[in-house]
Amino acid sequence: MVKSQFKIQQMAFMLLAVTLFFVLAGIFIFIFKFSDLKAAATELSEKNALLLVTRLANSPEFSCGEAFDYADIACVDGDKIMALKQNQKEYKDFWGISNIEVRKILSNKTDECTIKNYPDCEFIKINNDNETGDFISNFVILCQKDSFGGEVYDKCEISRLMISYKPI
Amino acid sequence: MINKKKSQEEMVGFGLIIIIVAVIILIFLRFSITKQKSNIESFEAENFIFGFLQHTTDCKNNQKFLNVKELIFECYNEKNCEDGRIACKVLNSTLTNIIEKSWDVNKGSQYHGYKLIINSNQANLINMSSGELNGNSKGASQDFSRSGNEFQILFSVYGD
Repeated sequence: MVKSQFKIQQMAFMLLAVTLFFVLAGIFIFIFKFSDLKAAATELSEKNALLLVTRLANSPEFSCGEAFDYADIACVDGDKIMALKQNQKEYKDFWGISNIEVRKILSNKTDECTIKNYPDCEFIKINNDNETGDFISNFVILCQKDSFGGEVYDKCEISRLMISYKPI
Repeated sequence: MINKKKSQEEMVGFGLIIIIVAVIILIFLRFSITKQKSNIESFEAENFIFGFLQHTTDCKNNQKFLNVKELIFECYNEKNCEDGRIACKVLNSTLTNIIEKSWDVNKGSQYHGYKLIINSNQANLINMSSGELNGNSKGASQDFSRSGNEFQILFSVYGD
């Protein structure tokens, strides 16, 4: 009688240990799967942000269109952006973005572009909002018409199109 | 005596089960915790290649400033710029400048190395790299051809 009671107790402990083990293993698997999911979500949101920049670069207000010989996708027209800069109040809240900036990567100047110094400047900034939020960027090609020795040519420079938007 | 032997056998069996379970948990943890190296096609790297190919250089030929793509063709044909500089040297210095100002691979930054390879008809035109080429990488490639010659650009940047 005592022996069988002991056996039942032993089995109960064993069952408890096995259940506890599976519960702990389940928690482990759940945590690791959940962390993977979080990483995937971050990667996806980063990709979406980069796509947003490219979509902006390809919008009619920015894109080179047929004005330049070589560039097509992710090509922004510097002259168009300068014109847009002059009318930035009209475009407030148009894209739902706080600030837009196009910064040349290889520039020996450090000044912001204005109508006076353009194109001998480093960056064009369109302020829709004085507040700055989350900041994302992607590579684009910034093209403009330039002249050398009296001849007009297409000058394209690799740049970063940066946008900041208010976090949700 | 028989009872003692039986309980010893049970203990050995229980011990074996614990060892097997522990080994399974360790294997599982090893695969879960170890960061898997990944090499992903990057939208950013793709735009970067597209961007630098269209970048206008200061190398002039036939009364026209060449972009990087045209400079690759000039380099392949072993030509010089109008001012006498060797096209391949201008290409190399322009690309180094662009990459170093675009991707910060210094200590403490997000990236710790890059690699750029430009091949033409299986021959290597440009092969430049800097920093540590290990860990996760993101990159892109682009192929194009001119006058029957195939060109391939491969760019990868390595980070945490």
